[in-house]
Amino acid sequence: MKIKRILIANRGEIAVRIMKTARLMNIETVAIKTAVEPNAMYLSSADVIFDNTEDVSEIPVFLDIEKLIAIALKTNANALHPGYGFLAENAYFAQKCIDSKIIFIGPSPDAIYKMGNKTIARKIALASGIPMAMGSEGNIANEEEAVLIAEKIGYPVIIKAASGGGGRGMRIVRKSDEMEKLFIIASKEAEKSFNDPSVFIEKYIENPKHIEFQILGDTKGNVIHLGERECSIQRKHQKLIEEAPSCALDDNLREKMGTMAVQIAKAVDYYSAGTVEFLLDSDKKFYFMEMNTRIQVEHPVTEIITGIDLIEQQIRIANGEELKYRQSDIKLSGWAFECRINAEDVQAGFAPDPGKIISLNMPSDACVRVDTGVQAGSSIVASYDSMIAKLIVKGKDRKDALKNCKMALDKVWIKGTKTTLPFFRMLVRHPKFQDGSFTTAFIEKDLEKFYFNSEYEEMLAAWLATKLFIEENLTDESINIDFEHGKEMSPWLLNKRINQF
Amino acid sequence: MANDKLQIKKLHALSSENRKFTFSLPLKHSIRIGKRDYEVKLKSDEKLGPYILWKNRKYPVEIVRSRQNKYEILFNDISYTFTVETPFSLQRKIVLDSKRGKVEQEFIKAPMPGKIIDVLVREGATVLRGEPVVILEAMKMQNEILSPVNGVIMKVYARANTNVMKDDLLIEIKVS
Repeated sequence: MKIKRILIANRGEIAVRIMKTARLMNIETVAIKTAVEPNAMYLSSADVIFDNTEDVSEIPVFLDIEKLIAIALKTNANALHPGYGFLAENAYFAQKCIDSKIIFIGPSPDAIYKMGNKTIARKIALASGIPMAMGSEGNIANEEEAVLIAEKIGYPVIIKAASGGGGRGMRIVRKSDEMEKLFIIASKEAEKSFNDPSVFIEKYIENPKHIEFQILGDTKGNVIHLGERECSIQRKHQKLIEEAPSCALDDNLREKMGTMAVQIAKAVDYYSAGTVEFLLDSDKKFYFMEMNTRIQVEHPVTEIITGIDLIEQQIRIANGEELKYRQSDIKLSGWAFECRINAEDVQAGFAPDPGKIISLNMPSDACVRVDTGVQAGSSIVASYDSMIAKLIVKGKDRKDALKNCKMALDKVWIKGTKTTLPFFRMLVRHPKFQDGSFTTAFIEKDLEKFYFNSEYEEMLAAWLATKLFIEENLTDESINIDFEHGKEMSPWLLNKRINQF
Repeated sequence: MANDKLQIKKLHALSSENRKFTFSLPLKHSIRIGKRDYEVKLKSDEKLGPYILWKNRKYPVEIVRSRQNKYEILFNDISYTFTVETPFSLQRKIVLDSKRGKVEQEFIKAPMPGKIIDVLVREGATVLRGEPVVILEAMKMQNEILSPVNGVIMKVYARANTNVMKDDLLIEIKVS
């Protein structure tokens, strides 16, 4: 193995995840200690900790290209894993690593650049004969041009950031008088998020399913796919739960879409792990959306149904090894769900709820895998994403996996912040989720209530409130009730007042 | 026997959605469903923290806030707010509520801490229900804050490029 020591240019659960596989492969790891999270859990998984707590720079170290290269060189790391987010899909960063003789565990800078720029990716997909939604030829200069093109392809349309991803810089436009406002919002958001205000327009596919294919390619030109994941349950383009495989695909469609995914990957000489995202409409027609040139948050569901460790494959490929799997070796077996348990308040429109995790108890059943970067005492800080843990649950088929998921969700106890658990508890009981007929519009259109509580839970909470009230106010059943502003007031006086109204 | 008259016979827990749960005193450690009483136990575990045991299942509980007679409780990860009222205070509350007029102003508050990216309305402008008024960035996401009502913008407190805390007042709208 050429790779001896990997610098993890990331934090949280993905840092823990990468280091776990590295350890199994007898490769050393370096983690970076930051002032924001000096006691983070991922630090305890590393062989070497680089202390960056005295860094006073405005931008997080995980976004600082020069500093990351310097840290890799200083700590004698000869490889770097970017994880997801941060610089994972930054072609310049990948090139800088290569120039500094650091093995970048990911695809080539060229592939990152081409797929990262959505307008270039569209052109490549078009040239490779991949089905796509109608759209603008390239980027759109201004709102007037946007209106013209939208009229040509027909509303609704979607504005997307050329350098985008993750829903930022994306807006759906249903009629021309909304265009100006939404065009400006999307462009501003794109500039702020990706340093590139350019946007393009596509026909908006109504109520599709989000289906993505996991790709693996090596540096010898072999590319295979590891089947699909369905990630249709999204809120503002943020995925909440993913599963593999998808009940919308049969073997025939799987082969067709998988072949297309491999084809587009080959068009950019792709190597490492990657994901080709499609939209699937109600007529089972599919459209290329984008390719993500990184390991994804939801990679574990693919690992469960294929038995392949994707991080290990990324490392081996980066090491120059040939893929040991052919397409015919890939057999999907069983079913897996991944619930992203975030520190968010479902009752307040999924508002982030950062704070300190007081206790964290996860199920230890054999059908459950937990990927997390936090433990009791950790803080969910506002400067990063709100993920607490990924609850990954398997079963022999979808029904079985769903049953296990329901059981596992009841066993997760997290205290300290509000979480998305009540949402998942509702979801696994929802008939449309159970029968698989949900689409990306599910949260917006099919839900009246975003959380689950059983019939008597509110009554039990009311009982508890009453009990607290009694303990605080009614000592010996007497009537020292603190009615308002700490003033003691007898019910007699109160009664008199009421009579005066 | 004046003391007997002061005895409170029951308490009402009134939810924020105005659902009323009545418990007689002294408070029983059981809840009646149909014809059966089910035992309610408030317990605590070193590892799990406080929980309620009910029908053989443990539910995590947390007291989020308690102020005077108002309690916010997190029960199985869902928060509930109750005001606990005696029969007297409840009656008073009903009278007070009926005297209060209809709400004519709508205050839009920051739903989460974050940074104001843009303010999309000016004072005096007319807004429709569902129209975005402010863009707030929090935890890497830009969120459009929508007007919950049709009305006229009375006052804009939000300023672009400033940070806000949860519940900070952003916009005041006169409902039309």
